[in-house]
Amino acid sequence: MAAFRKKRGAPVEHGKKSAKKRKISNVKPGKQEEVLNENPENEYSIPAPLSLGKWKNKERVLIFSSRGINFRTRHMMQDLRTLMPHSKADSKMDRKDQLFVVNEVCEIKNCNKCIFFEAKKKQDLYMWISNVPHGPSAKFLVQNVHTLAELKMTGNCLRGSRPVLSFDPKFDSEPHYAVLKELFIQIFATPQYHPKSQPFVDHILTFTIADNRIWFRNYQIIEEDSSLVEIGPRFVLNLIKIFSGSFRGSTLYENSHYMSPNLHRRNLRLAVAARLKEKQLVKDVQKHKKEEVKMLVPDDPTHDVFQTPKEKKPAAVPHQHPEQKPKKMKNKKEFKRQRLLKRKNK
Amino acid sequence: MNTFDEESLSQSESENENSDLSDGELQEAFSKGLLKPGLNILTDKKKKYVNNVEGLKNCLADFKKDIDWVERLDITKGLGPDIMANIDSKNNVDDNNEVNAEDDFQREMCFYRQAQAAILEALPRLHKLKIPTKRPEDYFAEMAKSDQHMQKVRAKLLQKQQAMERSEKAKKLRELRKYGKKVQVQVLQKRQKEKKAMMTAVKKYQKGMVDKLDFLEGDAEKGKKNPATASKSKSAMNMKGSNARRKYKDKKFGFGGKKRGSKWNTKESHDDVSGFRSKVAHGKVGGMRGKGGKKAVNKRPGKNARKKMRNRSR
Repeated sequence: MAAFRKKRGAPVEHGKKSAKKRKISNVKPGKQEEVLNENPENEYSIPAPLSLGKWKNKERVLIFSSRGINFRTRHMMQDLRTLMPHSKADSKMDRKDQLFVVNEVCEIKNCNKCIFFEAKKKQDLYMWISNVPHGPSAKFLVQNVHTLAELKMTGNCLRGSRPVLSFDPKFDSEPHYAVLKELFIQIFATPQYHPKSQPFVDHILTFTIADNRIWFRNYQIIEEDSSLVEIGPRFVLNLIKIFSGSFRGSTLYENSHYMSPNLHRRNLRLAVAARLKEKQLVKDVQKHKKEEVKMLVPDDPTHDVFQTPKEKKPAAVPHQHPEQKPKKMKNKKEFKRQRLLKRKNK
Repeated sequence: MNTFDEESLSQSESENENSDLSDGELQEAFSKGLLKPGLNILTDKKKKYVNNVEGLKNCLADFKKDIDWVERLDITKGLGPDIMANIDSKNNVDDNNEVNAEDDFQREMCFYRQAQAAILEALPRLHKLKIPTKRPEDYFAEMAKSDQHMQKVRAKLLQKQQAMERSEKAKKLRELRKYGKKVQVQVLQKRQKEKKAMMTAVKKYQKGMVDKLDFLEGDAEKGKKNPATASKSKSAMNMKGSNARRKYKDKKFGFGGKKRGSKWNTKESHDDVSGFRSKVAHGKVGGMRGKGGKKAVNKRPGKNARKKMRNRSR
């Protein structure tokens, strides 16, 4: 296993990657031209090959995670990578590594933005987003994750098409939300003319603030009259802290509404324990009551004043057998047969 | 290790001192009457949450990039037109765009509307910049979800729809069956009622309260006629005070008056020969008593005759 693990920043790999990229950028224009030649009189004007425009905004986002993530997180990470053509992947980070190592990893990978998933206790998922060289960065708790693979989301979009980003007006109302908005824009907006991107804008990412959390949705633009179908993934980000540096630095903002999942679980457990304790207490009290000797009421001397005793029968012991009644004899009636016989004999 | 132990020791000592001190203070306070017995609960220190607004603003100014909208494609806009407003009363949705996170449907609707509003604003801008938002039919490229997956989604949708239809059908059938049962019960009850009415009518006729046999004719007229006859019979019953059988018995056995000697022959009864029938008197009808009747009645030959007959046939 260890032999297959990539070494961070190995020069050989780096070279490989760049070669691959070059190949793709070479292939793309050819394909586009082919399409053009096949349908010259199509009503849609197919945009000029991506290579014609100048790819100016060299934003690259590293999306990776710590070890110990569950399958759902892995899928979500994969989904984000498919949606963001300007993203890069890296092998999972060891949990023992300090967090600021992420900065070095990004530098090695030539990325200036980072989305880092951190799993704890195999159930809690934290997400860091950061502007790598020098801050800011934000840490979120991720809740309610639904991935692209779920069947209830029926939309679809081109892989690597550029999204429109839609923000809640609340993002402008408070400074920490403004910072987050700028971070989201820089991370999730696909640069124009990015070699891996498609020339169409066919989906929209919405960031909404509700319940002091940020809700992420992804919709497909179907018609020009703005009917939408959800594509996925969807998740909810619960802000914990904003730091001035990237994975370090002073805390700029701390969310007062955030409660750590550990504390939440502890509260739940305590509530259950308290309920059980109370039940047991009630049971004990009842048992105690039952065992308690009942107060003996002293005999009331006036209780049977009005009760007259019954007259007792004289206890005469009979010394002789009682006289037996004479047994009633059955009248000796003969059977009919005998009677007839008698009559004959006469 | 040693130093650590010492430290911990000193810490525990200091804690003890602290607690002692605090106890002493408490006692003092209690003696002075500052503390009152009752609910004295330890309260957690209020945690101070950092909110460095200046720092945030500076940070934002630092790392904000001045790039064209084409690169960013961001739109900040509130909820779009409420589709459900026409159908549903708007009491669910607050006017100040507060999203109720507990209500799943409403929440998703809010997100949808926000996206819609953004789209409505973004599309014209995109068109102005000549960025296509629709790919041509023959532009084939890899999609975010594979065809296999989309097929699965479609199958799921279809299955859901079919299940819904099936359940709807079953529901309808159940309702129909319920209705049919109701109707059946009604019919049975009606029949029972008719039968009962008929029986009572027949009984009334038997007892002579009603003279007419109208009730046999039909149900339609019965309803009209029955009350009249019933009232009539009722009045007759009230007048007479007895029924036909009683009347007959009274006639036969007498009612009231002297009973002794009523069965004796009188001169009239002696002279009355209307009950005499000559045939019976002369034994022509039958019966073992008459002389002439014997031959006529017994056609079976005697035993001897029968024996002879048998011998002859042999």
